[in-house]
Amino acid sequence: MREPPANFPTPVAIAGCGATTAVGRGVEALRSALRANSSGLRACEKFDSPRFQSKITGAIPQTGNDNDNPAWQFATDALEEARSSALEILKKIPAERIGLVLSTTKANIAALERISENRLCSETARRHLQGNFLAADLAAAHGARGPVQCVSVACVSGLVAIQQAAKLIQRGAADAVFVVGVDTLSNFVMAGFTALKAIDPNGCRPFDKDRCGLSPGEAGAAIVLVGQASSLCSSKSQLDRQDACPTIKILGWGGSNDANHLTGPSRDGSGLARAIRSALKMSKLLPAEIDYINAHGTGTPYNDAMESIALKNVFGEACPPFSGAKGMLGHTLGAAGVVETILCAIAMQEKFLPGTPRLNTIAEGVPAGLVREPRSVAKINRVLKLNTGFGGANGALILGHE
Amino acid sequence: MNISMNELKANIIESLRLQDITPEKIDDDAPLFGTGLGLDSIDALELVVMLERDYGIVIKDIAEGRPAFQSVRTLADFIAVKRPK
Amino acid sequence: MNKIFIAATSKVAAADLPSARLGPRFARLDLQSQMALLAVESLGVDFQEFSPDRVAVCLAAKIGSLSTDVEFWNGRDGAGGPSPTLFAYTLPSAAIGEIAIRHKLTGPNLCFVDDDKILLSEAADLIQRGEADYCVCVSCAVVTAAAAELIQIPPETGACAVFLQRGEGLRELTEFDRDMKSLCANFCRPKISG
Repeated sequence: MREPPANFPTPVAIAGCGATTAVGRGVEALRSALRANSSGLRACEKFDSPRFQSKITGAIPQTGNDNDNPAWQFATDALEEARSSALEILKKIPAERIGLVLSTTKANIAALERISENRLCSETARRHLQGNFLAADLAAAHGARGPVQCVSVACVSGLVAIQQAAKLIQRGAADAVFVVGVDTLSNFVMAGFTALKAIDPNGCRPFDKDRCGLSPGEAGAAIVLVGQASSLCSSKSQLDRQDACPTIKILGWGGSNDANHLTGPSRDGSGLARAIRSALKMSKLLPAEIDYINAHGTGTPYNDAMESIALKNVFGEACPPFSGAKGMLGHTLGAAGVVETILCAIAMQEKFLPGTPRLNTIAEGVPAGLVREPRSVAKINRVLKLNTGFGGANGALILGHE
Repeated sequence: MNISMNELKANIIESLRLQDITPEKIDDDAPLFGTGLGLDSIDALELVVMLERDYGIVIKDIAEGRPAFQSVRTLADFIAVKRPK
Repeated sequence: MNKIFIAATSKVAAADLPSARLGPRFARLDLQSQMALLAVESLGVDFQEFSPDRVAVCLAAKIGSLSTDVEFWNGRDGAGGPSPTLFAYTLPSAAIGEIAIRHKLTGPNLCFVDDDKILLSEAADLIQRGEADYCVCVSCAVVTAAAAELIQIPPETGACAVFLQRGEGLRELTEFDRDMKSLCANFCRPKISG
C-alpha cells in the first residue's frame, strides 16, 4: 500500500470553476445572483401535473431542445468553463496527471424515462445511465487520463467528490483533478419526492418559519483542484495574470452517518456536529475561526431544524454568519456540494457574505447568525460548507483563503 | 359498508412488507406508530398509497391522515367515512 | 504508520436470502440493501467492540441503484402512485444507510458507482489518514433481469465484504488486493446461520 506523506504536505487549491444552474450559464451568472440575492426557482410547465406536488423547480433555463442526455450536457458545459478558467495552470500538467471525480445521484436518468416510453434514446444516453461510464467518458473528452472515480453518497456526494479529488492529489496520484457534480430535473425525481411529500408547493424557503419542503433543482458544476506545488505558481511570465495562482485551498473535511433513519436526519444533529468537528480538527481550526458557514438548508421542517441544533452544538451561542442557497438554485442533489462550494469560493474572492434567498420570517430556533441579505465584510477567509443526505450521511468541508 | 378489519390488516402487512406477522397478531387498538407495530414516517406515506390503491381514498396532506393512523380501528373508521360510495 | 489488515471477509449470493433473518424490516429493503446487509452480517464481526464513530462504511455498487431505479420507475403508474419506500432506495448509498442503522456505525462513508477495484485502497486510505480506525467494505453486484435488459449486461446478484483494521488480522492488505471477489472467496469465513 502506497504510504501517504506523513504530514499531507500538498495543499490543494481551486484553480478554476464552471457552472450551469437555475440562474443561468456560467459562474458569472452565479456571482450576479449571489450579489442580488435572487432566486432561480420558477414554474416549469413540464411538471404541471397532479402527479407532482409542485411545478416550481430550479430548472436550468433551456431553449426547449429535447435532449436525451442532459447529464452529459450540463456536466460538459460546466467542465468546459472550469477548464477554460484554469487554462494557464492546466497547460503545465500532462494529461496522465489529470484525474476526474464525478458526483451524481442519478446520472442520466432521462434515458430510463425515454426508453420506458419508447422515445428516441441514443446508445450514449443509455450508457450514461451508469455513473462510472459517464465519468470515464467525461474524463476522456476533457483530457483527463489520470485516475477516474464516480461517487454517489446522496446529497453529500459533491463534498465527498471534492475530498476524493484532494486525496488523489495529496497521495501523488494526480496533479490536477476535475471535480464534476451533475444531476438533472426528471420525472423520476419529481415523482419520488412527491411520493415522500417532501416538496414545498410554493417553492422552498430555507430556515423560514413557514417552510414546508424542498424544491428539486438541477445543475452541472465543476471545480479544477490542483496541488499547490510551488512550481505551478513561482514563475510569472508577462503572460501570467495577477490572479493566476490559486489561493482558495481545501483545508479539511469530515463525514459521518446518523445511523438513525433512511430519510430523516437524527433530531439532535449530533451526526452533523461530529462531521463539523472532524473537519475543524483536520483543518487545525477552532470553531471561532470560522468566518462563514454555507448550510445545507433544504427547506424541509426536519433538515433545517436539525441543522440549527447541530450549529448550536458546535458553535454555542457564537454561531458565525451562515446562509443557505437552495432558495436560489433548489436542491441540486449530486451537484449541490460542488456548486455550493463554488458559491463559497465566489464569496471568499469578493469578500461578501451570501444571503438566504426567499427568506421571509426566520423560524424559531434558528441561530442568530443567519444572513438574510448579502453584505460585504472585511474578512471571509475560513468557510465551512455543510451538506446532509438520505441514508444518514453528513458532510463538512472547510475552505481557506489567504 | 363495514370495513373488514382482517382485510385491512392484510393490506397493511402487504403494503409495508412486514415479515413474520399475520392479521391475527395485530391488535385492533394497538398503536401503529412509535410502539405497537413500530411504524415510521415512510410507512405512513406507504399507508397513504395503500389507502388510494385499495380504498380509493386520496390524502393530499399527510397531516390529514395522522389522526387516522393511530390504530387499525381508527384507520378503519377513517376509511368507512372517507371511502367513495 | 500502522499496516492495514484484513480481519474478516464474506461472500453471499441470492440463495442466501430466504434464510436471512435480519430484523423485522428486512423484507422492506431493496435487493441491494438486503445483499449488503447479509454480506456484513456474514463477516461475523461484533461491532459493539468498537467506537461507532471510528468505523467507516464503504460501498462499491456495480451499477449504482439502477436495479431499484427500474423497479421504482416501473411501479409509478400503480394506483396510489409510486412507492415512497422504494424511492428512498433509489440511491446507491441507501445500502450504507441500512448497514449504519443496523450496526449503529456512525463513522464516515464512501460510495462508488463501479466495480470494486479501488474500494479496498480507498478504505485503507481513510484509515491511514486517521479518518477512521476500521472500515467495513462492501461490494455489491445487483443486476435484476429488468436492469440487465436496460443496460444490456448479464443479470447477477452477489455481494462480498471485507473488514479492515490496523495492526493485526488474518493478513496484511497489500496493493495487489484489488479483486475483492477472489479475496473473499479465498478467505471466506463460515456464514452466520439463522
